[in-house]
Amino acid sequence: MNTLELHALNKTYGTHRALDNVSLSVPSGSRTVIVGPSGSGKTTLLRMIAGFEFPDTGRLSLNGQTLVDSTHEVPAHQRLIGYVPQDGALFPHMTVAANIGFGLATKGNEKQQRVAELMDSVALDSNMAERWPHELSGGQQQRVALARALAQQPRLMLLDEPFSALDTGLRAAMRKMVAKLLADAGVTTILVTHDQSEALSFADQLAVMRQGRLVQSGHPLDLYRYPEDEQTALFLGDAVVMPARIEAGWAHCDLGRIPVNNHRNNSTAQIMLRPEQLQLVSLLPSDAEMSGCRAVVTERDFSGNTCTLTVELQPLANGDQRGRSLLVRSSGMYAPPAGSAVHVSTIGHAHVLSEP
Amino acid sequence: MISRIPPFLKTALLATALVSAGHVCAADDVGLVVYNAQHESLTKAWVEGFTQETGIPVTLRNGDDTEMGNQIVQEGASSPADVFLTENSPAMVLVDNAGLFAPIDKATLEQVDNAYRPAHGKWLGIAARSTVFVYNPSKLPEAELPKSIMDLAAPSWKGRWGASPGGADFQAIVAAMLEQKGEAATLEWLKAMKTNFTAYRGNSSVLKAVNAGQIDSGVIYHYYSFVDQAKTGENSKNTRLYYFKHKDPGAFVSISGGGVLASSKHKEQAQAFLKWITGKDGQAILKDGKSFEYAVGKNAQSNPALTPLQQLDAPTVDASKLDSKKAVELMTQAGLL
Amino acid sequence: MPETLPAGVTDAVPANLRRRSRGTFASRGGAWVVGLSVLVSLLALLPIAYVIGVSLQTGWATVVTLVFRPRVGELLVNTVLLVIITVPLCIALGVTLAWLTERTNLPGRRWWSLLATAPLAVPAFVHSYAWVSLVPPIHGLFAGVLVSVIAYFPFLYLPVAATLRRLDPAIEDVAESLGLKPRAVFFRVVLPQLRLAICGGALLVGLHLLAEYGLYAMIRFDTFTTAIFDQFKSTFNGPAAHMLASVLALCCLAMLTVESAARGNARYARVGSGSAREQRIVCLRAPATALALALQLMTCALALGVPLLTLCNWLIAGGLPVWDMAELLPALEQTLLFGVAGAALTTCAAIPIAWLSIRYPGRMQRALESCNYITSSLPGIVVALALVTVTIHFARPIYQTTITVLLAYLLMFLPRALVSLRAGIAQAPVELENIARSLGRSPARALWLITLRLAAPGAAAGAALVFLAITNELTATLLLAPNGTRTLATGFWAMTSEIDYAAAAPYALLMIVLSLPLTGLLYHQSKKTAGR
Repeated sequence: MNTLELHALNKTYGTHRALDNVSLSVPSGSRTVIVGPSGSGKTTLLRMIAGFEFPDTGRLSLNGQTLVDSTHEVPAHQRLIGYVPQDGALFPHMTVAANIGFGLATKGNEKQQRVAELMDSVALDSNMAERWPHELSGGQQQRVALARALAQQPRLMLLDEPFSALDTGLRAAMRKMVAKLLADAGVTTILVTHDQSEALSFADQLAVMRQGRLVQSGHPLDLYRYPEDEQTALFLGDAVVMPARIEAGWAHCDLGRIPVNNHRNNSTAQIMLRPEQLQLVSLLPSDAEMSGCRAVVTERDFSGNTCTLTVELQPLANGDQRGRSLLVRSSGMYAPPAGSAVHVSTIGHAHVLSEP
Repeated sequence: MISRIPPFLKTALLATALVSAGHVCAADDVGLVVYNAQHESLTKAWVEGFTQETGIPVTLRNGDDTEMGNQIVQEGASSPADVFLTENSPAMVLVDNAGLFAPIDKATLEQVDNAYRPAHGKWLGIAARSTVFVYNPSKLPEAELPKSIMDLAAPSWKGRWGASPGGADFQAIVAAMLEQKGEAATLEWLKAMKTNFTAYRGNSSVLKAVNAGQIDSGVIYHYYSFVDQAKTGENSKNTRLYYFKHKDPGAFVSISGGGVLASSKHKEQAQAFLKWITGKDGQAILKDGKSFEYAVGKNAQSNPALTPLQQLDAPTVDASKLDSKKAVELMTQAGLL
Repeated sequence: MPETLPAGVTDAVPANLRRRSRGTFASRGGAWVVGLSVLVSLLALLPIAYVIGVSLQTGWATVVTLVFRPRVGELLVNTVLLVIITVPLCIALGVTLAWLTERTNLPGRRWWSLLATAPLAVPAFVHSYAWVSLVPPIHGLFAGVLVSVIAYFPFLYLPVAATLRRLDPAIEDVAESLGLKPRAVFFRVVLPQLRLAICGGALLVGLHLLAEYGLYAMIRFDTFTTAIFDQFKSTFNGPAAHMLASVLALCCLAMLTVESAARGNARYARVGSGSAREQRIVCLRAPATALALALQLMTCALALGVPLLTLCNWLIAGGLPVWDMAELLPALEQTLLFGVAGAALTTCAAIPIAWLSIRYPGRMQRALESCNYITSSLPGIVVALALVTVTIHFARPIYQTTITVLLAYLLMFLPRALVSLRAGIAQAPVELENIARSLGRSPARALWLITLRLAAPGAAAGAALVFLAITNELTATLLLAPNGTRTLATGFWAMTSEIDYAAAAPYALLMIVLSLPLTGLLYHQSKKTAGR
């Protein structure tokens, strides 16, 4: 059963199209990440699910219950959806315990106990209960916000860029903790972020938004390997994109002849390879002709465990035209030096991108 | 810490809100409403005596002659005033011309001398005061005293005399001058006054300034000096009074008036109030009290310290003809207001 | 995946699925807020409408005779001279004192800072009462300038000091590194950053100069306001009074325009949570320190010493008899009543406009706000005259009642409540309210629990400022107070009109005592915010 169903949501602010026919299904208990650049409409979508904004047209339903459609709406305070915004947004005039307990209907001892439980689950020390929000660090504030939202045992959790205000080092740790916490609680989660590595690691389902439209959705690996178009490809990670001629399952491009996953005939298209699909081997004069192509290392950027090499491919046609330059990643210790001749080969299939 | 509104403050606010609401909504039925332009101390004494004798409560609204006169005219038939008391007559004329007074009981009218009330009986005099020239003998020798108030327009008087043009008192004097000498002469005199005089706010300030020697002389009403003498005398010990006499405009005796509003809802009580003021007890307050204004009741005596009215040789001015509006217009034209 | 739904929530369509109200903020109950704001702003336009209406009614010929006459010229010259001499003096004094207390190592800085704010607790007309008692012959332009500077320089001191406190020292460091000498740094780097504070303070001083009556009446200096008052006493509601009021209103608008132009494109700094950087302190050498201390002492003596000493003198001279409790207590009660009721009403009226300006800023909201801003720059006497005229002709039931007085206070003091209220509501961003709603609180509960709680201190500060202004208000109260009511200010005025200075002293003392805690609040507030 799908917990959350978004069907053809549209929202326009004046002349600006914030959401354009967005449809999405969120399976129960899963973690869906909506990713996209600033202004893509992802926060608007999240707020719409929470009930702070309302679509012009479209339908939104949770657990089979219609939350919004063209004639009816359920107000935010009745939706039982937890919301954690970017900077935590703790109530500054309440202590940590009061903040967390805000959503609880119980009183007295029962409430205290529940608050203690929640603080425990987000790894907050119990002596923090009487602290004020401004006395907490960013990470602690975020955890209180999380506990507060979880207190009411929501049907759905919405996280709006929750880790972007934290230090880089803290981010990964928080991400892991939150993922585990939400998985343990079994709560369906939707997270919005512009950080692609966060998106890829956190998500069971990934949805890419751009300019109000949902461009692609699916399993993170699928999106990573088979992005819809060049922009999506580049957004989800580094990519090597080049034109090629497709023929019977093979692409003819600057890298030579590479297998592709598309069986179109005699058409030109852009193909995409991820950097990890390219392999470099130092070329020995005695090496026989191998599949792939020759290249020369023009730049070498050592950064510890990786080395980013710029290689210039041998031009296909003879002439003055220089070959294509590519960025390839290699292990730090065994990277060929600049100026050396290398052989570039590919692993796996290249992906054919759709026409823009 | 973000503090909450302390509970006591909340209750205080609520209490005040209720009290104010009460004040605002309460029907103001506190007996007579008197628009009083006379000196508060005098009217209070009258009110006290009246209330003690009759038990009728009185509420005073204090203000100035012309301000209140104009206000009554603007308020018209729905004015809350029952009685109007003034220091000078022009304001009474103003209200009377708007037809807002009720005729006064004959018995009350009989209590006051003919000279101190108009013939039509719509209002009557309750007290009187005389214009006087106050001077500082050390600054102004007796030989230089002016024969007439009109002399003060002469260039030799530049910077040597003061007055309070913003007050109804002086405007009454101007109205009397207007009545006596006509528009042209009055306007000329006012224009010269603008060049010569120094303006003060209130007759008391004029007296004080003359006393301190800041100005040589001034034109005020007589009782200010006496009132001050009866207190500490510090604002008048260096001054002397000079009466113009000879029916000069400067000898003008201004009548303080009292009238009953036609729109009054307590006419009987209003009439009783006026009767009391102009009766034996009311006028006795003028004699025995500290107001030092002249009594106008028949056979009533003024305070023994004062120069008797008969000796003042005041010009005969029909009080009901005093036009304060015109006087103010002329003063505005001359640049005094 | 077992997800226990809390009791009461089922998978079926709940009964509380309500009908959609399509559309914008306005249709979602924001119509009320907008409506109330418009109502308040329309009220604020009353005095302007009155001025224009009466001018039209009087007829052009009369207007010409009444406006273009020598007397008006005289008043205009007096007023202009007063403004162009007093304002620069106030600026010079305010900036110097502010610099001394904020940027130097002057001994006793904190005390001087407090003492520089304290003159605000003494009403302006009490200042002139003190001077007239001390030096009876004092009068005219010199006296006017002297007492005005003494009474109003804190209006410049406070914002300038607050801004100096918050300036970024890095800018001055860079200027020095570029070769500017310390004096040049002050004049070319620090002073321009004070422009906003100086403009705001100068405007406030200028408007007070135009509106003040009691101060100038006592020292016999004729300004528009004193002349309007005289006309009012002589003709009640005559055309000459209205004409003078129109000219005065024009002067105020002119002043607003000048300030706006002087301010230029600069924006008022937002109240931020900037970290307090270490400010550079100038060490004064001995002679400079002595001079500075002398200046501080002199200002203190003139601005605080004179009124307090004179009051003491009069109280001692008057002895016990001047403490006429039968008169004083009702006056005190009336003042408190007006103050509290007026402050509550004004703050409540400011709420819709403040709400809009923080939550839904836009052109309409700015237009509404400027209506209020313009009216509050008008002197109390113009507002009072307008209300007298309007209530007599169109709203007789409220004529001469407490409601009219409170209405006058509302029109005059709304911006003071507005500024503090805005800061308060800004403390409660809409996001917090949304979160409260997502946690199950209905919109109304969320508003109450979160937004109002957070905005309360700001509202209280605004109300306190209005209370302070009302306790010292003279002109409008003189014109509008209902029968038989007397406040401390009008009681004081009645006494001084009779030259009974000793009897006036208790009234003055009570007014100062009432004003002290609120002046303390102003001082405290200015320490927290930077020039608004």
